[in-house]
Amino acid sequence: MSYRLGVDIGGTFTDFALFDEARGEMFIHKQLTTPDDPSRAVLDGCSHLLARKGVDIAELVSIAHGTTLVTNAVIERRGARVGMLVSEGFRDVLDMARETRYELFDLRLEFPEPLVPRYLRREVAERVKYDGAVETALDESAVRAAIAELVAEGIEALAICFLHSYANPAHENAARQVAEREFPELYVSTSADIFSNMREFERWTTATINAYTQPLFDSYLQRLSGGLETAGFTGRLLVMTSSGGMLAPDAARRYPVRVLESGPAAGALMSAHLGRALEIPDLLSFDMGGTTAKGALVNGYRPLKKYDLEIARLHGFKRGSGLPVKVPVIDMVEIGSGGGSLAEVDERGLIRVGPQSAGADPGPACYGKGGSAAALTDANLVLGYLDADFFLGGDMKLDEAAARTAIEASIAKPLGVTIERAAWGMHEIINEDVARAFRIHASERGFDYRGASMVAFGGSGPAHAMSVARKLKIPRVVFPAGAGVMSAFGLLVSPLAFELSRSEPCLVGGLDGEHFANRFQAMEAEASELLLEAGVGAPDIRLRRRLDMRYQGQGYEVEVALPDGTAMAEIFSGLAELFRETYAATFSSTTLDEPLEIVTWKVEAVGPEVSLADGFILEGTGDSGEARKGSRQAYFADAYHDCPVYDRSALAPGMEIAGPALIEERESTCVIGPGERARVDERRNLVAELGEA
Amino acid sequence: MDAISLGIMWDRLISITDEIVSTLVRTSFSTIVREAYDLTAVITDAEGHLLAQGRWSAPPFIGTAPLTMAHTMKKFPPHTLKPGDVLATNDPWIGTGHMYDITVMRPVFLRSKLVGYTMSITHLPDVGGTGFGTMAKEIYHEGLRLPLCKLLSEGEVDNFILDLIEANVRVPEQVIGDIMANVACNQVGGRQLLEFMEEYGLDDLDELSAAIRSQSERMTRAAISELRDGSYRNTIRIEGIDDPITLACRVDIDGENVHIDMDGTDAAVERGINVPYCYTNAMSLYSMKCLTVPSLPNNEGSTKPIHVSAPKGCILNAQPPSATGGRHIIGHFVSPLIFGAMAEAAPESVQADTGMIDLMNFVGTHKDGRGVSTIYFAAGGFGALDGHDGPATLPGPSNMAVVPTEVWEGVTSTLVERRALVPDSGGVGKARGGLGQEIVIRNDSGHPMTIFSMANRSEFPPLGLLGGQNGPLREHRVNGKTVHPKGQHVLAPGDRVTLSQPGGGGFGPARERPREKVIADVRNGYVTPQGAKRDYGVEEEK
Repeated sequence: MSYRLGVDIGGTFTDFALFDEARGEMFIHKQLTTPDDPSRAVLDGCSHLLARKGVDIAELVSIAHGTTLVTNAVIERRGARVGMLVSEGFRDVLDMARETRYELFDLRLEFPEPLVPRYLRREVAERVKYDGAVETALDESAVRAAIAELVAEGIEALAICFLHSYANPAHENAARQVAEREFPELYVSTSADIFSNMREFERWTTATINAYTQPLFDSYLQRLSGGLETAGFTGRLLVMTSSGGMLAPDAARRYPVRVLESGPAAGALMSAHLGRALEIPDLLSFDMGGTTAKGALVNGYRPLKKYDLEIARLHGFKRGSGLPVKVPVIDMVEIGSGGGSLAEVDERGLIRVGPQSAGADPGPACYGKGGSAAALTDANLVLGYLDADFFLGGDMKLDEAAARTAIEASIAKPLGVTIERAAWGMHEIINEDVARAFRIHASERGFDYRGASMVAFGGSGPAHAMSVARKLKIPRVVFPAGAGVMSAFGLLVSPLAFELSRSEPCLVGGLDGEHFANRFQAMEAEASELLLEAGVGAPDIRLRRRLDMRYQGQGYEVEVALPDGTAMAEIFSGLAELFRETYAATFSSTTLDEPLEIVTWKVEAVGPEVSLADGFILEGTGDSGEARKGSRQAYFADAYHDCPVYDRSALAPGMEIAGPALIEERESTCVIGPGERARVDERRNLVAELGEA
Repeated sequence: MDAISLGIMWDRLISITDEIVSTLVRTSFSTIVREAYDLTAVITDAEGHLLAQGRWSAPPFIGTAPLTMAHTMKKFPPHTLKPGDVLATNDPWIGTGHMYDITVMRPVFLRSKLVGYTMSITHLPDVGGTGFGTMAKEIYHEGLRLPLCKLLSEGEVDNFILDLIEANVRVPEQVIGDIMANVACNQVGGRQLLEFMEEYGLDDLDELSAAIRSQSERMTRAAISELRDGSYRNTIRIEGIDDPITLACRVDIDGENVHIDMDGTDAAVERGINVPYCYTNAMSLYSMKCLTVPSLPNNEGSTKPIHVSAPKGCILNAQPPSATGGRHIIGHFVSPLIFGAMAEAAPESVQADTGMIDLMNFVGTHKDGRGVSTIYFAAGGFGALDGHDGPATLPGPSNMAVVPTEVWEGVTSTLVERRALVPDSGGVGKARGGLGQEIVIRNDSGHPMTIFSMANRSEFPPLGLLGGQNGPLREHRVNGKTVHPKGQHVLAPGDRVTLSQPGGGGFGPARERPREKVIADVRNGYVTPQGAKRDYGVEEEK
C-alpha cells in the first residue's frame, strides 16, 4: 500500500490530508497549531490520523508540507539577530528604501523597520560594476574584522549584500567563504544566491529576511525530520515554496525566504488542478478564511506567477507599506476580508468591514469569548447562512443573541437601520470588496475574467462566492469538497521544482543563437542540481525557460515564456515575434519599432508531475442517508426566505439543487441564492450556475 | 436610500474609477504614468458633478474635474452629445495647469439618456515646443495647446486631430498611443458604470450623486468645525528661476467653512513656472484634506466647504499667455505655505517642511556609444509631525521613486560612489525631521556629460514648526566645489558630482524629545554624539 500525506500549518489550524493512492481515497484531519513548536502538531496529527486509518508510517511515501512559519516570524519579529555586510558607501540602502510614499494623504507614514538595524551593518571595501567588472577588489581582512565585530555584537546570522552581485557574485561568494571558514557557527545568506535580480533594495531586503528566518527554520526542520524519523518515517519529506514547487529539506533550510506564503500557494495550485480535472482552463481561485481573502488567477490550467511579494504590511493591506521580497511566487491578491473582519462606521459615516479583524481570540461576538465588536461571521449568522448549532460540525456553539447585540451597537443603531439590514450590508460590502480586488488584479494583468469560472474555498469563501461571481458576471462557481483543507490537498499535487534567474541585460541584436543557448545551459545545470540532489532522475527533469524583455529604454519588462520542446535555435529566431505577441496581449496596445532587450534570464527545473489523477473520494462523503437536513430562514437581498439545508457529505453525484439553498459541510456553508442552481458532479464537487437574475 | 445602499453603491463607483486607472496604467506608454501614477480617473453625474475618483490620485488632480466639466458642458451642451462621442483637451486653464496633461471625457448613455461622464487624465510623454522644462517665456513656446474638441464622434475618430497632434510632438507614436489608451479606458469605465446601474436598478445617478455629495460635505464640515476659528497668515520665500519669489496666504476658518486667499503673492514671471488657478486650487484642497479627513473619498461634496482664491495675475493665478510647463515647481510650495499658516489652528495635523525632491538631468553618451538623457531623483527627508519623526529620504508633495543604483549605473555608465544618509541632517525637534542624504556620482562614461538641475531649498531651508528647527540647505558640488544648483555643468570623464539633500524640518522644541529616542538615534548613527549633546543636551554615559 502507498500513501501520501499533505500537511499545511496555518496560524490557527494545522490541516492534514492523507491520500490512499491505490483506492483514490482521501482522509482529512485538523488540529490546533502549536505556535511555540509547530512540529509538535505535525507529529501529533500525523500519528493520530495514521492510527485512525490503521496505516503504518512506513507506508507513507512522502510528506509534503506547507507552512506560514517563516512569514509569521517576520510579522511577529521573532527571527534571529542578523548582521549585514554591504558595499562601501551603501550602508543605508535599507533605510532609504524606494524613496516613495505608498499613501498620499496620510502624512503620518510608517515604514517597516529594517530587519537589520543600522548599527549591525558594516561596509567593506569592494566594488563590482554593472557589467560585472571589478572596480575595487574585496578586502578579505576587512571582511574578517567586520564579521568579528558583528559576532561580538551577538549576531546569529549574516547577510552579505554587495552591489551588482547578480552580474558577478565573486565578492559575495568570497566573503561567504571567509565567514564559513572563520565563523562556522554563523548562518550565512548572500543576496545573489537567494534569487539573483537587479535592484539592490529589494534583493538585499530579501537576503535579510532569509538570514533572519534561517536559524529558526533550520531548527524547526531538524525537529520535524528527527521526530518523523523516530516515528519510523522512511519516505521523502518535502517543503512547499511560494511558487508552487517543492523543495527537499536541505534546499529549504538554505532558502527559507522561498517558503513564505506556501500554504496559500498550495490552495491556488489545487484550484488549477481541479480546473484540469474539470477541463476549465481559466479560473479565479477564491480563498476566504478568518482574517483575509486571497485571490489567484489561473490561466490555461496554470496559476499566474510573479517575482515580487510584500510581507508584514503596516498600513492595512496597502501596497508599499511592507517589506519587499523578490522570489518566485504564485501571483495572489490579498485583502483584509474574512470571517473575523470587524465592521465599523467609517469617516464617511457609512459601513466599512475590515481590515481590522477580531482574530481567533476573542473572535466574532457570536463565539461567546468576550468579543463585543461585530464581525462578518456575526452577520452571516444573523442572515441565516450559518447554523448556530452546526459551526465546525457542531463542535462550537454560536451565540446569535450576542451577534445581534454587536451588530446593533456597531452598525444598526448608528446608521438607523434594522439589524438584519445592517448584517446584509456587512455581507454585501465584503462581496463588493472581494469583487473589486479581483477586478483590479485581473485588469492589471490583462486577464479577461468574464467567461472564466471560480473555485471557492476556505471557511468563509463558499458563503460569499455566488454573490461575488454575480458581481463579476462569472457564470459558474465550483465548490470542491473539503473546502476547509484545500491547501493540504494542494500539497499533494505539487512537483519538486526550483527556479533561478540572472539579470544580464543585453540587446537581442547583439546575440547569436549559440550564445543564446549557452547562456541558458549554465543556468539549466544549476537549477537541475537541487532536484538531482533530491533524487530526481535527470530524464525526469523538465526545464521551463522565461525571459524578461523590453524595448530598449523602457523602464518595465514583459515576461516571455519560451516554448517547451523547441530547439533553441528556432526559439532564438522567433524571439522577436514571441515578444511582440506577449507585449500586445499584456498591454493591448500597438508595439513599437525599437531594438529589443533581454533583461533577466530565468530557468525553472521541474520534477515529475504528481497528481491526484481523476480526483478523489473524500472520506465520509456519499454516505447513504437523507441529504436534506431541514430548513431555516435565510436573508437574500431584502427579505428572509424559507431555505432548505443540505448535508454536503450525503449529496449523491448527479443531484440537482435549486436555490435558495444552504449546503453545509463541517467547516463551511455554500450559499446558493434564489434563481441559482447547483449540481453535484461525479467527483462530488458542487458546481453552481448563476441563474437569470 | 438608506446608509447601507449608499455605502455599497458608493464603494462600487470608486471601484469603477480604480479599474479605469489600472487599465490606463497597463496600456500607457509613458513611464511617468506607469511608475509615478501621474494620472487619475473620475465619474461625474449628468450635470458634471464629480462623485467618485480613483483612490490613487496625485494631488494635482483633486478638484480639477468639476472646473473642466463646467467648461466642457458650456462648449458641448449635453443635448448635443451622442453615444460614442469622446471629448478631449490639454488646455492648462481648463485642465490641470500644464499642457502635458491630457483630459479625456466620455458621456455615458443608458437607454439613450445621458446619465453621467467618465473622465481620465494622464501625463503625456511630449507636447512639442521647448520640451519639458522651464525655458518658455510664454505658453506659445511650450507646444501644442489642444482646445476642447470632439476627438471621437459617435465612435469615429477625428483623424484631423490625430494628424495635428502627430505633426506637433516629438514621439508621436507614444503620444497617440497614450491618448488612445485614455479613450479605451473610458470605454471600460462606461461599460462598468452601465453594468452597475443595471445591477442596482438605477435609471440615473442623480439621487446617488446627491447622497454621496451631501454625506461627504457633512463629514468635511464636521472636521473643519473642529479647527479653531480665526484668520491665519503665512508668508514664505522660495527660489524662483532668477529671483526669489514670495508666496503668501491667509486661511480663514469660519465655523464649517474655509477660505484660502493668496493675496500678497508675487506676480507671474516670464518662465515656465507659473501656476494657473486650477492647480493652486488643487494643491490647497489637497493640503486641507491632509488636515481634515485624509481618508474621505474625493468628490465634489468633500471639497465644497473650501474656497480658494488668488489675485489675478499673481504667480498662483497666472493668466494666459503665461508659460506653465513647470507649474509644479512653484505649486508644490502651496502645501508648506498652508501648513505653516495652520500650525496654530491644527498643531496635531500639520507637517514641518519636507526636504523635497532633487531632479538632475544627465545628458551625454554611454560608454557603449548610446545617447544618454535621463533624470536622477533624490529625495530629502520628510517633515516631522507632532509625535511622529519624519522618515528619511521621502519625497513630498511630489512622489517620484529613486532609480536604484544598479539600474542607474547600467543606463548611464556613471558610477555611484556613495549614497548615504547624512547624520544630524534631520531638523532638530521633539519629533525629528527625516534624514537627508548625500550621493556622489562619477562620470565613467569616457565622454563629457552635461548635468542640468533646478534644485530648490538651496537658499531657503525646510522650515521647522512650533519650536522645531529647520533642516539644512540643498547643495551641489562638482569635484568638491560648490556649484550653482540651478543651471548646467559639464562633467569631464572622471569628474564627480555630489548631491547633498536636506533633511526635513523638526516639530516642537528639542528639549521635549524623549531621551531614549535620542539615545537610539545615536546608537544607529542618525544623530552623532556631538549632535545629541549640542542639539538635545543628551550625553550618553559610556
